[in-house]
Amino acid sequence: MTVGSQVKQTQASLKGVKATLDLYALQSANEEEKQLYERNSKKVASVLNFLEQRVAQLEFEEPQYKGF
Amino acid sequence: MLAEWMIILVRSLLMFVILLVFLRMAGSKQISQMTYSDFVIGIATGAIAALISLNLITNLAYGLLGLAFWLLLPLLVNYLSLKSKMFHDLVYGNQTILIKHGKVLEDNLKKVRYTGEELLSQLRRKNVFNIANVEFAVMEPNGDVSVLLKPEETPITPKQLEWKVPVAGEPQTVILDGNIVDEGLRNQGLNRSWLQSELDKQGLSVENIFIGQVDSAGDLYVDLFDDAIQVPQPTTKALVYATLKKCEADLELYALATSQQQVKQGYQQAAEQLSEVIAELRPQLRR
Repeated sequence: MTVGSQVKQTQASLKGVKATLDLYALQSANEEEKQLYERNSKKVASVLNFLEQRVAQLEFEEPQYKGF
Repeated sequence: MLAEWMIILVRSLLMFVILLVFLRMAGSKQISQMTYSDFVIGIATGAIAALISLNLITNLAYGLLGLAFWLLLPLLVNYLSLKSKMFHDLVYGNQTILIKHGKVLEDNLKKVRYTGEELLSQLRRKNVFNIANVEFAVMEPNGDVSVLLKPEETPITPKQLEWKVPVAGEPQTVILDGNIVDEGLRNQGLNRSWLQSELDKQGLSVENIFIGQVDSAGDLYVDLFDDAIQVPQPTTKALVYATLKKCEADLELYALATSQQQVKQGYQQAAEQLSEVIAELRPQLRR
């Protein structure tokens, strides 16, 4: 497994986590709980943003593995 | 002329209805919370009602007058005691301090006719075996002893330990006895189609579920009629927590693996950010 595909995997799991947190934020009836999930979802989003840049960079460096 | 038994029947029914209505009006005090005066009034009204219903008081009007007096007077006393603290203490009694600053007040003990042995026995009922642990104890008007332990003896709370506890609203019951409870769903801002999709995920049908509860984050817990069937419990939260931990570890690994200083820092920052998220969500996701 290349570094690129590993990073992609992490990115995918983190996307799943973010989706669940967003879901909890939407479903929660408690205002404090809602905000807690929203706040942390934003933090996860910024990590995701960084990973996205990394994936783009890695794909640029190793074009032969693009899509794996 | 009506037969005697018919009169008794009609009177009994009348008494039953009157007492039922008045008991509803008198409020929902439990029997254990009844004061001595409540007890006496209860016996008096019961006796009068029984006498009327058995036609022992032949004049119905007089009987009802007596009953009305016994039923209405307590309501009046209740009303006055709500309005005036002095009146309340006069009727229902006041609390008596038995232990103050860790010292037994013998004079007050005498006032409520308690011996030392009885005080100790009451404290033991509150799981206090050592009188040295008591800071303050008070006898309530109904005879119960309430105990405040010394600060170092009180049970520890998450706040004292500066622990984070999960924030959550109350869970809502959405299925009872195989029926969907729409009120519970509404309170949580959900609807029947959400419940249906949630049940489909677990492969269950409403008819087989005895109790279904939704927690504030929207996870469904069900108890089936058939206890032999194993239901998968909601694991989404545990999964999210585990995934977050894995991602954090991954990022740290990448930070170690890369040789580019700038990228290394980026990974490290990302890992730190995730660990903040983990710390904040930990109480929420691990219950």
